[in-house]
Amino acid sequence: MSAPAIAPASAVAGIERLLGTSSTAAPAASGGSGSFSSMLLDGVASVDRKMAAADAQVRAFAIDDSIPVHQVTFALEQAKLSLELMLQVRSRMVEGYQQIMGMQL
Amino acid sequence: MQAMEISRTGLDVEWRRLEVIAQNLANANSSSRPGTEGYRALQLVSGPRFADHLGGGGSGRLGGVQVYGVEPSAAAPRRVHEPGNPNADADGYVTYPGVDHAGEMTLMVTTSRAYEANVVAMNTARQMYMKALDLGRGS
Repeated sequence: MSAPAIAPASAVAGIERLLGTSSTAAPAASGGSGSFSSMLLDGVASVDRKMAAADAQVRAFAIDDSIPVHQVTFALEQAKLSLELMLQVRSRMVEGYQQIMGMQL
Repeated sequence: MQAMEISRTGLDVEWRRLEVIAQNLANANSSSRPGTEGYRALQLVSGPRFADHLGGGGSGRLGGVQVYGVEPSAAAPRRVHEPGNPNADADGYVTYPGVDHAGEMTLMVTTSRAYEANVVAMNTARQMYMKALDLGRGS
């Protein structure tokens, strides 16, 4: 609720970086480089780390199947859950952004 | 995520326990040469693990379970009269490890059930996580 109200500019920048399409809001990002967008970036980096960890587990298991299977499936599941969380955050933020953009002035 | 992490430590320990049981059963008939120490049944010792052992978070956080060690059991070896066996001693006795077959089988069933319980707990934690993501969706 309050996330779009706090810092719309940095929220937009966060979404843009999240989607990898930094077309317009680059100056806004430098202006409002608050903790919100860095928090988002940290979240994306953590998802990325979990994905890489799961990938490494699958690779290790393919080479040497002496590591327990549940460690592989656990890493995959964790990566999936954090991706799911990221998608949820993204869709809520896009929703908030669109509501603000549609606001009557 | 913490609940899933705890369940994962449980899975790790039970997996390890099954490996020890398999090792004991596989060596149940390993005779040893006279004068040498033969195979001794192994036992996995596990106990609670707290997150602050790893330096993470405040005290009192739950960290699951961990393997403390794999110790040889004190069970006396089994001696069988088999004069024809190349490993027989001067009196014709062969020494076999004191593997408790029934005990190992019981432990194996317990281990399997504990593993399943950990999987169920992990799935429940996962479902709760997914439900939490559904909070406020579609409004």
